[in-house]
Amino acid sequence: MISVADLLADNRLPGNYFASDVYIRGTLEFGLLENRRGDRLLALPDTLLKAIVSGLSNETGQATWFVLRNCGFWWGKNFYARFCEELSEYHQTGVADLSMIDFSQALQECWRTNGWGTLQLNVNHHAQGFLVVEVQNSPFTVHSLQPNQPSGALEVGVLQAFFSQLSGRDLMCVQTSCESLGADRNRFILGVANRLQSVETWVQEGRSHDTIMQQLIE
Amino acid sequence: MNPQLEMLFNEPEKAYLRSDELNTLSRFVSSLPERINFYRRLRNEELTLMQAVADALEKQFSQESEERLKRSLQNGILILRCAAMAMLMDDPDFVTKRLGAWLPDIVAAYDIQAIDTALYQLIKQHLAERFTSQQTALLFPGITSAQALFSPEEADEDEDAGLTSETLVSLF
Repeated sequence: MISVADLLADNRLPGNYFASDVYIRGTLEFGLLENRRGDRLLALPDTLLKAIVSGLSNETGQATWFVLRNCGFWWGKNFYARFCEELSEYHQTGVADLSMIDFSQALQECWRTNGWGTLQLNVNHHAQGFLVVEVQNSPFTVHSLQPNQPSGALEVGVLQAFFSQLSGRDLMCVQTSCESLGADRNRFILGVANRLQSVETWVQEGRSHDTIMQQLIE
Repeated sequence: MNPQLEMLFNEPEKAYLRSDELNTLSRFVSSLPERINFYRRLRNEELTLMQAVADALEKQFSQESEERLKRSLQNGILILRCAAMAMLMDDPDFVTKRLGAWLPDIVAAYDIQAIDTALYQLIKQHLAERFTSQQTALLFPGITSAQALFSPEEADEDEDAGLTSETLVSLF
């Protein structure tokens, strides 16, 4: 017999913590946009992103991609900590006790509500040890870094740091398709470094995501 | 609040509200005592109502795992609470706004569409037994919009098909 009283004990009914109508708020008279627990949010103008890319290109040239990826690492580490803190506060349980479904749904909703596009986790190849993260409408890949190369350096950094912390392993992340190059979405393959080594070269050669995925799992 | 009502308050600088706009507001305000009463009853009777629903659901899905039934019931409780709030605010879109992107993926990932479909029928049926048709008419739009979120014709291609209830940590 299922007891509804038990299901309702400790207010542990799972809900959509990142629902946009309740997650984004602010003390606007002080000029503060905030999330529901009072952390400050910033609205980032696209022009500023463009300016950062162009400023970095002027100053560092080819290092732009690496600088942005490092920024992404930094962001991802902190984002992971904050994300877990928020989730465990809301669910009153450690993140390790959340199911993968609840965790990944929360991540997707978080991404969407923050205006970073729609994120999907594709685990079709998880038996082979690869996770593919797909992002549509990303604000971070709009401005190209190098001609004909994916421009998601920030996202590569943030995803690599996030999932490395989550899995407790040093993962590598490679972007294999990019909206700025006409793809329908950005795709990022995550896996252990020694299995993804050749992928960066394949991307530079212009191989498609599907081809790369095929070669990886063969 | 109902978006139409909310819009009334948006532009005081432009003009005073017209008579028909004030009538809309009056209608909402005069329906509030009834809404609040009904909301109070839903709150007080949640446990007995949902327990009756849970018992019926268990009977209907006697072969199903308890874990999946529990998850489905949690969704049911959540939807009833959201629908009750939507009723209080006279905003049937509230359920979609709060659960729109999230619930269909959860339902698909746990693979509980069939249970959820039966569950909503049971919830509606048990509500209809307890409350008047005027009362349920206030509440059902919210539940119906939740149902519409994952009805088979609306369901997206299931991109979370491979997700299981293991933890992500086990991926690598």
